[in-house]
Amino acid sequence: MQPLANITPLKPAGAIEVRNVGQIFKTTTQDVVALEDVSLDVKPGRFVVLVGPSGCGKSTLLMMMAGLRQQTSGTITISGAPIPEPDPNRVGVVFQEASLFPWLTAEENVEFPLALRGVTKNDRRARAQDALKLVGLDGFGKRHPHELSGGMKQRVSIARGLVQDPPVLLMDEPFAALDEQTRMTMGDELLRIWAATGKTVVFVTHSLTEAVYLADEVIVMSPRPGRIVDHLQVSLPRPRTYEMLSGDAFGSLRDRIWRHIRKSA
Amino acid sequence: MQSGLVVKAARIAIVVALFAIWEILSRTGIVNPRLLPSASDTLSTLGELLQRASVRKDLAVTATEVVTAFALAVPVGALIGFLIAENRYFAEVAKPLLFFAFSIPKSIFLPMFILVFGVGFSQKVGFGFFSTIFIVIMSTTTAVESVKVEHLTVARSYGATPVQTAFRVYLPSMLPVLLEALRISMIFNVTGVILAEMYASRDGIGHQIATWGENFQMKQLLAGVVMIAAIAIAFNELVRWVETRCSHWRT
Amino acid sequence: MSAATLRRLIVIGLIVLWEILPRAGFIPELFLPSLSSTLAAGWNEAGEYGHALAVTLYEVAISMAFACGGGILLGAIVGSLPRPRILIMPMVSSLYAVPLVILYPVFTVWLGIGSESKIAFASIYGFLPTMLATAAGIQTIDPQLLLAARSMGATLSQRLVRVIIPAAIPTVLSGLRVGGALVIVGVVVSEMLISSAGIGYLISRYRTILDSPHVFAGVLLVLAMAIAFNAAIKWIERKAAIWQTGTRAGQDSAGEVAPTALQPAT
Repeated sequence: MQPLANITPLKPAGAIEVRNVGQIFKTTTQDVVALEDVSLDVKPGRFVVLVGPSGCGKSTLLMMMAGLRQQTSGTITISGAPIPEPDPNRVGVVFQEASLFPWLTAEENVEFPLALRGVTKNDRRARAQDALKLVGLDGFGKRHPHELSGGMKQRVSIARGLVQDPPVLLMDEPFAALDEQTRMTMGDELLRIWAATGKTVVFVTHSLTEAVYLADEVIVMSPRPGRIVDHLQVSLPRPRTYEMLSGDAFGSLRDRIWRHIRKSA
Repeated sequence: MQSGLVVKAARIAIVVALFAIWEILSRTGIVNPRLLPSASDTLSTLGELLQRASVRKDLAVTATEVVTAFALAVPVGALIGFLIAENRYFAEVAKPLLFFAFSIPKSIFLPMFILVFGVGFSQKVGFGFFSTIFIVIMSTTTAVESVKVEHLTVARSYGATPVQTAFRVYLPSMLPVLLEALRISMIFNVTGVILAEMYASRDGIGHQIATWGENFQMKQLLAGVVMIAAIAIAFNELVRWVETRCSHWRT
Repeated sequence: MSAATLRRLIVIGLIVLWEILPRAGFIPELFLPSLSSTLAAGWNEAGEYGHALAVTLYEVAISMAFACGGGILLGAIVGSLPRPRILIMPMVSSLYAVPLVILYPVFTVWLGIGSESKIAFASIYGFLPTMLATAAGIQTIDPQLLLAARSMGATLSQRLVRVIIPAAIPTVLSGLRVGGALVIVGVVVSEMLISSAGIGYLISRYRTILDSPHVFAGVLLVLAMAIAFNAAIKWIERKAAIWQTGTRAGQDSAGEVAPTALQPAT
């Protein structure tokens, strides 16, 4: 008989399955329902964006996909297996700007997850170099975060998320702290990296324009309790261009999201 | 609200427990009661001391010195602090010097005050003033700098006069910081005066505590320590209470 | 004239005045002996001052180990656990209002007038502010850094060694600076009050015989010690400047103690 461990998962690498997930936060005075009956399927290699007003639980959902938080009910599987704790081989996470370690250089930051696993120094350096090259930061490895611009810091964060080559990349408002111009540039950069690597990306944002511009699919959520209210397919052709921003197709998608959000606000 | 009460109760319990441990250590003889008289003995000694005319006189002397030093140091220090905060050139010249003066230990200059003033009221007030003035200057500078430029711009754009700006922008912005500054300055001031009394003096409560220590009168000594600590903590809590009352200004 | 030039001129002017005013008789030598006579007094008794310095430094070193070690350790524990922090921190900062110098006579009764009572007093003197500074600093570690480390699969001990400790370094340094300065003050003050050795003792002994130059030589020596200590900490801080960005800026822990309060009192 074949040992269980050798059975390949039914779902291919990079698939995310969220089934009837609920999350209740217990405080001393009352229980807050953060998420209620959320179900979602993300196929491998798709770029999915979660949008919604503050308190709709989109970041909470992302944290649960990353294994950083456990749901109160329901199941979440990544590449066919549940994720009871963070697993950087399956899921890379990119946070807001502040999450680079200020005392490490760019390349040491990228090597960090490998160092945790005891990968040898030479091996680490080589893989960090590859990841930095991928995000367009060749030659900046020796700098500390405070010597890098906001956009460059986020490139380092993305490199750190990708250095172990996980099939899934989760991004929690990664460009929220950037100015508008840098934000647009970083969006294009992210799409380029995504196209080059074929990762499944789940991306949380407040910006409707960013959501439609980046996504294959947009999931719209509403608060109290957090649930999915709409699931849009964005059929705009790729590569995306700035001209599309003023087109009718783009505008009607954005309007549709905005109507949901205005209703729930 | 309820958890606030629980925290208060827990704090009181900690204090009571400390006194209880003190009492038990001494009563059971685990610690020599001559070196550590029990808490109850100490507290009854404290009550008795407060009846004594000489102790009351010492307290009055110390209080007069503390108040005089404070009344001199605060206006002078505040004025210098204002000048520094309002004049950029002056600030650039003076700040590093002040930081330096602030960071060096003041107590080693105590002998100088005795050499100049002799032993007495002016020496103790002088040293109290000296211990306090630097912190007053520093805190005033911080307080003035805590006034937001945006608020001043808004006031100016609506045509506020200098007096209006002073009372409607500067004062409310600075009040919480100033209260904090007064509280901390007072801590420095009291420490300075009591140290001066302990070092060389003929009266004052600091002198009395030092004398009890030299004569191994542990009951009186501990009672004095408890008394000073209680007064200091009570003053501190009073000012902090006022601080929290106007803390909604703080952002 | 640039501010730095003027500042230098002021400092030089003060030093020159220190020499000239007493010499010219504008200030009695008893109040302020001239710089040269102070230095000469110190030089002539170099052996005595050297011995006193050794005693004082020994007491400072031991007290610093107690005050800073204990303060940083306890501050880190209290600062990182929310319940004890809410319970204890306001109590500790009330305690800070007490002029601790009144405890010194108690220590002399218990431990005698040798080094033990100085070490006990200076340790307690330096302990509270170190603990407060450390506890306040630990709270400012950015929770995003810990979350990021966890997302990369860092275990608890890896988070402690690779995130919490490096992020806490600036805090520990500021604790060390405050605590160390207070320990020096505590040792010298207690030597001045009652003792039989150390620089503080020399200052007091020469004061009672109104020998101002020798008093000032002692004062200068303590000043040099305090300045040297400050410079050493500053040097380490500069070396570790990169760490300074590891905490969220402007996080003033309300209801606790302002940074100014953590400076040496007297």
